[in-house]
Amino acid sequence: MTYRTMLIKNAFRNRFRSILTITGIGVAILAFVFLRTVVDVWNSGLTAAAEDRLVTRHKVSITMLLPRTYYDRMGNQPNVSSIGYANWFGATYPKDEHSFFANFAVDDDNYLNVYPEIVVPPDQLAAWKADPAGAIVGQTLAAKYGWKLGDKVTLTGTIYPGDWTFNVCAFYTTTNRAIDKSSFLFHWKYLNDGPISDRMREQVGWLVIRVKDPSQGSAVAGAIDSMFESSEAQTLTESERAFNLSFISMYAAIFTAMDVVSVVILLIMTMIVGNTIAMGVRERTHEYGVLRAIGFTPRHLMVLIFGESLFITAIGGALGLLIALPIVNGFGKFIEDNLGSFFPYFAISSGTVALAAVLALVVGLASAVLPAWTAARLQVTMALRRLG
Amino acid sequence: MIPIAYNVHSLAARRSTTIAAALGIALVVFVFAAVLMLANGVEQTMRATGSPLNAIILRKGSQAEMQSGIEENAVGVLRASPEAAPAGSGTMSTAEVVVIITASAAGTKGGVSNAVVRGVMPESFMLRQQLQIIEGRNFTPGSDEVIVGRGIASRLADVGVGRELALKRNRPVKIVGVFSADNSSFESEIWGDLNSIRAIFNRQGAVSSVTLRLKNASLFEDLRRRIASDPRLGLEVKREPTYYDEQSQGLSVFIKTLGLVIAIFFSVGAMIGAMITMYAQVAQRSREIGTLRALGFRRSRVLLSFLLEAILLSLIGGALGIVGALGMSFVHFSTVNFQSFSELVFRFTPSPGILIGSLLFASIMGLLGGLFPAVRASRVSPVAAMRD
Repeated sequence: MTYRTMLIKNAFRNRFRSILTITGIGVAILAFVFLRTVVDVWNSGLTAAAEDRLVTRHKVSITMLLPRTYYDRMGNQPNVSSIGYANWFGATYPKDEHSFFANFAVDDDNYLNVYPEIVVPPDQLAAWKADPAGAIVGQTLAAKYGWKLGDKVTLTGTIYPGDWTFNVCAFYTTTNRAIDKSSFLFHWKYLNDGPISDRMREQVGWLVIRVKDPSQGSAVAGAIDSMFESSEAQTLTESERAFNLSFISMYAAIFTAMDVVSVVILLIMTMIVGNTIAMGVRERTHEYGVLRAIGFTPRHLMVLIFGESLFITAIGGALGLLIALPIVNGFGKFIEDNLGSFFPYFAISSGTVALAAVLALVVGLASAVLPAWTAARLQVTMALRRLG
Repeated sequence: MIPIAYNVHSLAARRSTTIAAALGIALVVFVFAAVLMLANGVEQTMRATGSPLNAIILRKGSQAEMQSGIEENAVGVLRASPEAAPAGSGTMSTAEVVVIITASAAGTKGGVSNAVVRGVMPESFMLRQQLQIIEGRNFTPGSDEVIVGRGIASRLADVGVGRELALKRNRPVKIVGVFSADNSSFESEIWGDLNSIRAIFNRQGAVSSVTLRLKNASLFEDLRRRIASDPRLGLEVKREPTYYDEQSQGLSVFIKTLGLVIAIFFSVGAMIGAMITMYAQVAQRSREIGTLRALGFRRSRVLLSFLLEAILLSLIGGALGIVGALGMSFVHFSTVNFQSFSELVFRFTPSPGILIGSLLFASIMGLLGGLFPAVRASRVSPVAAMRD
């Protein structure tokens, strides 16, 4: 009999207990993969950033507006290929007041040029440009509310008070899955000509710049900021990546907490596996005495015990990953449809799978430390004296 | 009935497996209780901010003060409301302006966060008696000085007493004091003189909100009716506690939902741990169980006894988990509140309900984990067991 067959036989001596343990490991790995995926996808906002894009906002806060004249002045910068601008509208949909989707006003011509990842069919784009009250809607959002081309949609303003009615003219999809497909875009001019306070007229929320040469990005950013250094409203221009990171960092504490919690599930898993292995070792004390008496060294016993623990965790871990893929990704579909503004896509990454596999094995080793140590220290005579 | 002492001794006799199973449950209860304490922390912080006698007036449709705007000429009328408690020649009332600034977060690399800057009147301090200067001094009315809440002071980089904030070119704002406010959300704000703040942020001619101290709480309905009956004003009034409850909803519901889903996931693992332990107990004690049955204890008594033992085991774990979670109540947590888009500093806040709920949750895990082992125990045949 080889080591391998012996430890496999040991692992299934108490078949019912082993099955329970494997189920426990499976559930723990499932929970771990789910948590890691949430954290992963949240941070994926960074992968939505393009290298050749910069964002200019008010230096004091993103909630403050910049004069639209900045747009013309920035256009003179060398190395800039196009500039778009946008205003956060922040309206709610009265038919579904409590759910959130991003809605903002954008300039007619350039905003979509700056984001080549956003794809609108040409005929729909032309229809949008021709309709002052037109809106472009992300396909996930349109599917959620069943909006069709030509539908009228009324939103209730929060920052800009009143009811605002739009015509759905176009749908967009994206070529980068990390970009939100649940946004609602409409003409900046429609907002500016609307019933808004004078303080907010001819103002833009932020500008997005596409540079010709990404390596010149920080030089362009510096040139823009120094251009407005002595103006009333100073600017802060940063790479799109840094801009996205600033939003991600605002919620960092929540996601750090989820990281901590994903470690807790590994500890729970260690308790379950450790308990099972320790029980097996205790029940087999007599047998280990016999093995020692016929010439097995303490080291042999340790190999047997570590092997058994690794074997059980490997099966449990594999099972967990196997069920995690359909469950988490299936749940992900639900998240994409309903929370698409926060999680544009939701799928397990290969990194998460690898991490879960490695950590399962680490748990397998950690769980066996105490039982193996106990077994290795056994006095042969004491062990033989014990029965059952 | 079989005495509980029997169960206590049985658990103590197989110490290591009892500890492993109890620790598994403890970790789940820890997550469960900590998450509820966190959500409770958000709610309590907001609740402490509102006073039941205060009514806050905002522009209709705005979800937070930051979005609201009230024209200067309406402010005088509102502050002279007959429902407001008199003070000197006027009333106990105040008009405030709220803006959001983006600042570097302390202890992070490139991380930023949003902070509320509130422009206040001397009367604001009468309405918010919980404010206390704990370092430095209060700002001088009419000056460009500000005081910062102790929560935000620890959260943002470079906001200590004596520092300056660059909110406008050539007009530095000096931090002269730090205040506490009874753990309310005011501690996450920066306060300065109303007119200075309005001048710095170009908000002359309007405020964000008007707050009144009512003569008595029952006058709120009169005020509400009066304000609703004048559609030209376009305003709405809320009791302060209602308003601040709304501000906490998004974040606390998010934390609660996420946390409970995680805890339920995790509890499956802990239940399996308890099940393994209890099955082992039953298997090892079949002779004892046979003896109990032979002594005349009925099947139902044996079942009950093992169920109680499982619950006892889980309560030990539950108590450990609660102790751990209570240890978290010294930890501050800080994230951007969804509703107000600004940093909120709060603590893990326990409540009797959470403690009882956690023990109940632990008992349910014990009950479900112990059910099948207890059924098996009750089926042990006295004759067969004693022959072994």
